Amino acid sequence: MAGKYKLEILALIAVLVFCALFLYTSLVTGNGRFAGSDTLASEKIVELSGEPIGTIHPLIPQWVPPSAEIESGLFALQAAIGGLVIGLVFGYWIGQKKGTKNT
Amino acid sequence: MHIMEGFLPLNWAVFWWVIALPCLVYGMYRLKLVLDADREALPLLGVTGGFIFILSSLKLPSVTGSCSHPTGTGLSAICFGPWITSVVCGIVLLFQALFLAHGGLSVLGANIVSMGIVGPLVGYAVYRTLRETRVNMFLTVFLACALADIFTYVTTSLELALAYPAQVGGVGSSFVLFMGIFAITQVPLAIVEGVVLALVFKYIVQLKPDILLRMKVFPEEKISAARGD
Repeated sequence: MAGKYKLEILALIAVLVFCALFLYTSLVTGNGRFAGSDTLASEKIVELSGEPIGTIHPLIPQWVPPSAEIESGLFALQAAIGGLVIGLVFGYWIGQKKGTKNT
Repeated sequence: MHIMEGFLPLNWAVFWWVIALPCLVYGMYRLKLVLDADREALPLLGVTGGFIFILSSLKLPSVTGSCSHPTGTGLSAICFGPWITSVVCGIVLLFQALFLAHGGLSVLGANIVSMGIVGPLVGYAVYRTLRETRVNMFLTVFLACALADIFTYVTTSLELALAYPAQVGGVGSSFVLFMGIFAITQVPLAIVEGVVLALVFKYIVQLKPDILLRMKVFPEEKISAARGD
Protein backbone atom coordinates (compact mmCIF):
# COMPACT_ATOMS: atom_id res chain seq x y z
CA MET A 1 0.00 0.00 0.00
CA ALA A 2 2.59 2.53 1.12
CA GLY A 3 4.93 1.26 -1.59
CA LYS A 4 2.30 1.71 -4.26
CA TYR A 5 1.71 5.37 -3.44
CA LYS A 6 5.30 6.24 -2.52
CA LEU A 7 5.64 8.81 -5.31
CA GLU A 8 2.28 10.45 -4.53
CA ILE A 9 3.28 10.81 -0.88
CA LEU A 10 6.66 12.25 -1.83
CA ALA A 11 5.00 14.76 -4.17
CA LEU A 12 2.56 15.78 -1.45
CA ILE A 13 5.39 16.27 1.05
CA ALA A 14 7.37 18.34 -1.47
CA VAL A 15 4.38 20.61 -2.13
CA LEU A 16 3.62 20.99 1.59
CA VAL A 17 7.24 21.85 2.43
CA PHE A 18 7.19 24.34 -0.43
CA CYS A 19 4.07 26.02 0.98
CA ALA A 20 5.55 26.01 4.50
CA LEU A 21 8.70 27.71 3.18
CA PHE A 22 6.54 30.35 1.52
CA LEU A 23 4.61 31.01 4.73
CA TYR A 24 7.85 31.16 6.68
CA THR A 25 9.41 33.67 4.27
CA SER A 26 6.36 35.88 4.06
CA LEU A 27 5.16 35.77 7.68
CA VAL A 28 8.19 35.09 9.87
CA THR A 29 11.11 36.75 8.14
CA GLY A 30 8.83 39.28 6.44
CA ASN A 31 11.52 40.35 3.98
CA GLY A 32 9.84 39.15 0.82
CA ARG A 33 8.11 41.45 -1.59
CA PHE A 34 7.80 38.50 -4.03
CA ALA A 35 8.60 40.44 -7.16
CA GLY A 36 9.51 38.38 -10.20
CA SER A 37 13.16 37.35 -10.46
CA ASP A 38 12.95 38.82 -13.99
CA THR A 39 12.19 42.20 -12.45
CA LEU A 40 15.03 41.88 -9.93
CA ALA A 41 17.44 41.01 -12.74
CA SER A 42 16.28 44.02 -14.73
CA GLU A 43 17.00 46.23 -11.72
CA LYS A 44 20.44 44.65 -11.46
CA ILE A 45 21.07 45.45 -15.13
CA VAL A 46 20.16 49.08 -14.55
CA GLU A 47 22.67 49.06 -11.69
CA LEU A 48 25.42 47.38 -13.73
CA SER A 49 25.00 49.41 -16.91
CA GLY A 50 24.53 52.66 -15.04
CA GLU A 51 21.71 53.64 -17.39
CA PRO A 52 18.50 54.88 -15.81
CA ILE A 53 15.52 52.58 -16.33
CA GLY A 54 13.77 55.16 -18.51
CA THR A 55 16.43 54.90 -21.21
CA ILE A 56 15.92 51.19 -21.78
CA HIS A 57 13.38 50.80 -24.57
CA PRO A 58 12.14 47.68 -26.32
CA LEU A 59 14.12 47.05 -29.50
CA ILE A 60 10.93 45.78 -31.10
CA PRO A 61 7.74 47.58 -30.02
CA GLN A 62 5.54 45.27 -27.98
CA TRP A 63 2.03 45.13 -26.61
CA VAL A 64 1.90 45.27 -22.83
CA PRO A 65 -1.17 44.04 -20.94
CA PRO A 66 -2.86 47.22 -19.70
CA SER A 67 -3.45 45.90 -16.18
CA ALA A 68 -2.49 43.11 -13.80
CA GLU A 69 -6.00 41.64 -14.20
CA ILE A 70 -5.61 41.24 -17.93
CA GLU A 71 -2.11 39.83 -17.52
CA SER A 72 -3.23 37.24 -14.98
CA GLY A 73 -6.18 36.38 -17.22
CA LEU A 74 -3.86 35.65 -20.13
CA PHE A 75 -1.58 33.56 -17.89
CA ALA A 76 -4.63 31.59 -16.77
CA LEU A 77 -5.55 31.10 -20.42
CA GLN A 78 -2.09 29.68 -21.12
CA ALA A 79 -2.41 27.23 -18.21
CA ALA A 80 -5.95 26.33 -19.28
CA ILE A 81 -4.78 25.39 -22.78
CA GLY A 82 -2.16 23.07 -21.27
CA GLY A 83 -4.65 21.59 -18.82
CA LEU A 84 -7.25 20.93 -21.52
CA VAL A 85 -4.78 19.07 -23.71
CA ILE A 86 -3.45 16.98 -20.81
CA GLY A 87 -6.97 16.08 -19.67
CA LEU A 88 -7.98 15.17 -23.20
CA VAL A 89 -5.00 12.85 -23.70
CA PHE A 90 -5.25 11.09 -20.33
CA GLY A 91 -8.96 10.56 -21.00
CA TYR A 92 -8.15 9.20 -24.46
CA TRP A 93 -5.59 6.78 -22.97
CA ILE A 94 -7.96 5.61 -20.24
CA GLY A 95 -10.62 5.01 -22.90
CA GLN A 96 -8.16 3.08 -25.08
CA LYS A 97 -7.15 0.91 -22.15
CA LYS A 98 -10.78 0.11 -21.32
CA GLY A 99 -11.50 -0.62 -24.97
CA THR A 100 -8.69 -3.17 -25.27
CA LYS A 101 -9.76 -4.84 -22.01
CA ASN A 102 -13.35 -5.33 -23.20
CA THR A 103 -12.53 -6.91 -26.56
CA MET B 1 13.85 33.09 -16.81
CA HIS B 2 12.75 35.74 -19.20
CA ILE B 3 15.09 38.40 -20.30
CA MET B 4 12.84 41.42 -20.81
CA GLU B 5 12.49 43.10 -24.18
CA GLY B 6 15.11 45.79 -24.64
CA PHE B 7 17.39 44.39 -21.95
CA LEU B 8 19.79 42.75 -24.38
CA PRO B 9 21.87 44.92 -26.70
CA LEU B 10 21.12 44.30 -30.38
CA ASN B 11 24.35 42.36 -31.06
CA TRP B 12 23.64 39.85 -28.28
CA ALA B 13 19.97 39.55 -29.26
CA VAL B 14 21.05 38.67 -32.80
CA PHE B 15 23.77 36.30 -31.55
CA TRP B 16 21.29 34.18 -29.55
CA TRP B 17 18.78 34.20 -32.42
CA VAL B 18 21.50 32.80 -34.70
CA ILE B 19 22.02 29.90 -32.27
CA ALA B 20 18.30 29.33 -31.68
CA LEU B 21 17.07 29.31 -35.30
CA PRO B 22 18.91 26.22 -36.61
CA CYS B 23 17.84 24.31 -33.47
CA LEU B 24 14.20 25.23 -34.12
CA VAL B 25 14.41 24.19 -37.77
CA TYR B 26 16.05 20.88 -36.85
CA GLY B 27 13.44 20.40 -34.11
CA MET B 28 10.58 20.83 -36.59
CA TYR B 29 12.24 18.31 -38.90
CA ARG B 30 12.61 15.82 -36.01
CA LEU B 31 9.00 16.45 -34.99
CA LYS B 32 7.79 15.56 -38.49
CA LEU B 33 9.87 12.35 -38.48
CA VAL B 34 8.56 11.25 -35.08
CA LEU B 35 4.91 11.97 -35.91
CA ASP B 36 5.17 10.31 -39.34
CA ALA B 37 6.67 7.21 -37.75
CA ASP B 38 4.00 6.85 -35.06
CA ARG B 39 0.74 8.79 -34.85
CA GLU B 40 0.33 7.65 -31.24
CA ALA B 41 3.28 9.90 -30.38
CA LEU B 42 1.01 12.93 -30.84
CA PRO B 43 -0.99 12.43 -27.60
CA LEU B 44 2.28 11.97 -25.69
CA LEU B 45 3.52 15.24 -27.19
CA GLY B 46 0.26 16.80 -26.02
CA VAL B 47 0.89 15.73 -22.44
CA THR B 48 4.57 16.72 -22.27
CA GLY B 49 3.87 19.99 -24.11
CA GLY B 50 0.81 20.67 -21.96
CA PHE B 51 2.98 20.58 -18.86
CA ILE B 52 5.35 23.13 -20.39
CA PHE B 53 2.31 25.38 -20.97
CA ILE B 54 1.03 24.97 -17.41
CA LEU B 55 4.27 25.05 -15.46
CA SER B 56 5.74 28.01 -17.33
CA SER B 57 2.61 30.03 -16.57
CA LEU B 58 2.86 29.51 -12.81
CA LYS B 59 4.83 32.16 -11.01
CA LEU B 60 5.76 30.62 -7.69
CA PRO B 61 7.19 32.29 -4.59
CA SER B 62 10.54 31.11 -3.28
CA VAL B 63 12.60 31.37 -0.10
CA THR B 64 14.50 34.34 -1.46
CA GLY B 65 11.34 36.47 -1.25
CA SER B 66 10.99 36.66 -5.01
CA CYS B 67 8.98 34.74 -7.57
CA SER B 68 9.99 32.67 -10.53
CA HIS B 69 8.53 30.00 -12.74
CA PRO B 70 9.33 26.37 -13.34
CA THR B 71 9.92 25.34 -16.96
CA GLY B 72 8.37 21.88 -17.29
CA THR B 73 10.74 20.98 -20.12
CA GLY B 74 12.36 17.86 -18.64
CA LEU B 75 9.56 15.42 -19.42
CA SER B 76 9.44 16.49 -23.05
CA ALA B 77 13.24 16.25 -23.32
CA ILE B 78 13.13 12.68 -22.01
CA CYS B 79 10.36 11.52 -24.34
CA PHE B 80 11.18 13.51 -27.49
CA GLY B 81 14.74 14.78 -27.08
CA PRO B 82 15.90 18.38 -26.69
CA TRP B 83 15.24 19.64 -30.25
CA ILE B 84 11.50 18.93 -30.38
CA THR B 85 11.30 20.45 -26.90
CA SER B 86 12.87 23.62 -28.34
CA VAL B 87 9.96 23.94 -30.77
CA VAL B 88 7.33 23.62 -28.01
CA CYS B 89 9.21 26.16 -25.89
CA GLY B 90 9.40 28.46 -28.89
CA ILE B 91 5.59 28.42 -29.11
CA VAL B 92 5.13 29.09 -25.37
CA LEU B 93 7.72 31.87 -25.34
CA LEU B 94 6.21 33.48 -28.45
CA PHE B 95 2.79 33.49 -26.73
CA GLN B 96 4.30 35.13 -23.66
CA ALA B 97 6.25 37.67 -25.72
CA LEU B 98 3.24 38.69 -27.81
CA PHE B 99 0.47 38.75 -25.21
CA LEU B 100 2.10 39.02 -21.78
CA ALA B 101 5.13 41.27 -22.35
CA HIS B 102 7.23 38.55 -20.71
CA GLY B 103 10.30 38.44 -22.85
CA GLY B 104 10.01 39.97 -26.29
CA LEU B 105 10.67 39.37 -29.94
CA SER B 106 14.27 40.58 -29.99
CA VAL B 107 15.21 38.58 -26.86
CA LEU B 108 13.14 35.55 -27.90
CA GLY B 109 16.27 33.91 -29.31
CA ALA B 110 18.09 34.22 -26.00
CA ASN B 111 15.07 32.95 -24.06
CA ILE B 112 14.70 29.97 -26.42
CA VAL B 113 18.38 29.14 -25.95
CA SER B 114 18.03 29.06 -22.15
CA MET B 115 14.61 27.42 -21.70
CA GLY B 116 14.31 25.50 -24.96
CA ILE B 117 17.84 24.38 -25.75
CA VAL B 118 20.36 24.36 -22.88
CA GLY B 119 17.87 23.31 -20.17
CA PRO B 120 16.42 20.40 -22.18
CA LEU B 121 19.92 19.39 -23.38
CA VAL B 122 21.13 19.11 -19.77
CA GLY B 123 18.00 17.17 -18.79
CA TYR B 124 18.43 14.88 -21.78
CA ALA B 125 22.12 14.30 -20.99
CA VAL B 126 21.25 13.34 -17.40
CA TYR B 127 18.53 10.98 -18.64
CA ARG B 128 20.76 9.34 -21.26
CA THR B 129 23.53 8.83 -18.70
CA LEU B 130 21.21 7.15 -16.21
CA ARG B 131 18.86 5.29 -18.58
CA GLU B 132 20.86 2.07 -18.86
CA THR B 133 22.13 2.12 -15.28
CA ARG B 134 20.43 0.61 -12.28
CA VAL B 135 19.25 4.01 -11.06
CA ASN B 136 15.51 4.03 -10.42
CA MET B 137 13.49 5.22 -13.43
CA PHE B 138 11.50 7.83 -11.50
CA LEU B 139 14.66 9.14 -9.82
CA THR B 140 16.11 9.56 -13.32
CA VAL B 141 13.03 11.56 -14.40
CA PHE B 142 13.23 13.66 -11.23
CA LEU B 143 16.91 14.50 -11.75
CA ALA B 144 16.50 15.25 -15.45
CA CYS B 145 13.52 17.58 -14.85
CA ALA B 146 15.03 19.40 -11.86
CA LEU B 147 18.37 19.95 -13.60
CA ALA B 148 16.72 21.07 -16.86
CA ASP B 149 14.92 23.70 -14.75
CA ILE B 150 18.04 24.88 -12.88
CA PHE B 151 20.23 25.02 -15.98
CA THR B 152 17.67 27.16 -17.80
CA TYR B 153 18.33 29.82 -15.19
CA VAL B 154 22.08 29.27 -15.15
CA THR B 155 21.99 29.98 -18.89
CA THR B 156 19.89 33.11 -18.43
CA SER B 157 22.43 34.33 -15.86
CA LEU B 158 25.25 33.68 -18.30
CA GLU B 159 23.44 35.45 -21.14
CA LEU B 160 22.94 38.54 -18.97
CA ALA B 161 26.47 38.40 -17.57
CA LEU B 162 27.96 38.31 -21.09
CA ALA B 163 25.92 41.35 -22.09
CA TYR B 164 26.53 43.23 -18.82
CA PRO B 165 29.98 42.46 -17.44
CA ALA B 166 30.62 44.15 -14.10
CA GLN B 167 33.15 46.99 -14.07
CA VAL B 168 35.12 45.16 -11.42
CA GLY B 169 35.50 41.45 -12.09
CA GLY B 170 33.92 41.43 -15.56
CA VAL B 171 31.67 38.65 -16.80
CA GLY B 172 32.55 36.31 -13.91
CA SER B 173 31.42 38.58 -11.13
CA SER B 174 28.22 39.69 -12.84
CA PHE B 175 27.49 35.99 -13.55
CA VAL B 176 27.69 35.38 -9.79
CA LEU B 177 25.34 38.34 -9.22
CA PHE B 178 22.73 37.07 -11.68
CA MET B 179 23.08 33.51 -10.38
CA GLY B 180 22.30 34.92 -6.94
CA ILE B 181 19.03 36.31 -8.29
CA PHE B 182 17.96 33.43 -10.51
CA ALA B 183 19.54 30.16 -9.45
CA ILE B 184 19.00 30.28 -5.69
CA THR B 185 15.35 31.28 -6.14
CA GLN B 186 15.01 28.37 -8.53
CA VAL B 187 16.29 25.51 -6.34
CA PRO B 188 13.05 24.82 -4.38
CA LEU B 189 10.96 25.27 -7.52
CA ALA B 190 13.13 22.81 -9.43
CA ILE B 191 12.76 20.19 -6.70
CA VAL B 192 8.96 20.48 -6.68
CA GLU B 193 8.89 20.44 -10.48
CA GLY B 194 11.04 17.30 -10.55
CA VAL B 195 8.83 15.42 -8.10
CA VAL B 196 5.60 16.44 -9.83
CA LEU B 197 6.86 15.48 -13.29
CA ALA B 198 8.15 12.14 -11.97
CA LEU B 199 4.62 11.52 -10.68
CA VAL B 200 3.15 12.45 -14.07
CA PHE B 201 5.59 10.03 -15.69
CA LYS B 202 4.34 7.30 -13.37
CA TYR B 203 0.80 7.81 -14.69
CA ILE B 204 2.02 7.72 -18.30
CA VAL B 205 3.79 4.43 -17.52
CA GLN B 206 0.59 3.02 -16.04
CA LEU B 207 -1.74 4.16 -18.81
CA LYS B 208 0.28 4.00 -22.00
CA PRO B 209 3.44 1.93 -21.54
CA ASP B 210 3.42 0.70 -25.16
CA ILE B 211 4.18 4.15 -26.59
CA LEU B 212 7.13 4.54 -24.20
CA LEU B 213 8.39 1.11 -25.29
CA ARG B 214 7.97 1.83 -29.00
CA MET B 215 9.81 5.14 -28.65
CA LYS B 216 12.44 3.36 -26.52
CA VAL B 217 12.18 5.96 -23.77
CA PHE B 218 13.26 3.42 -21.14
CA PRO B 219 14.33 -0.25 -21.39
CA GLU B 220 11.48 -2.75 -21.17
CA GLU B 221 12.67 -4.27 -17.87
CA LYS B 222 12.47 -0.90 -16.11
CA ILE B 223 8.98 -0.14 -17.38
CA SER B 224 7.62 -3.59 -16.50
CA ALA B 225 9.25 -3.44 -13.08
CA ALA B 226 7.60 -0.06 -12.43
CA ARG B 227 4.21 -1.47 -13.47
CA GLY B 228 4.66 -4.34 -11.05
CA ASP B 229 4.42 -7.19 -13.59
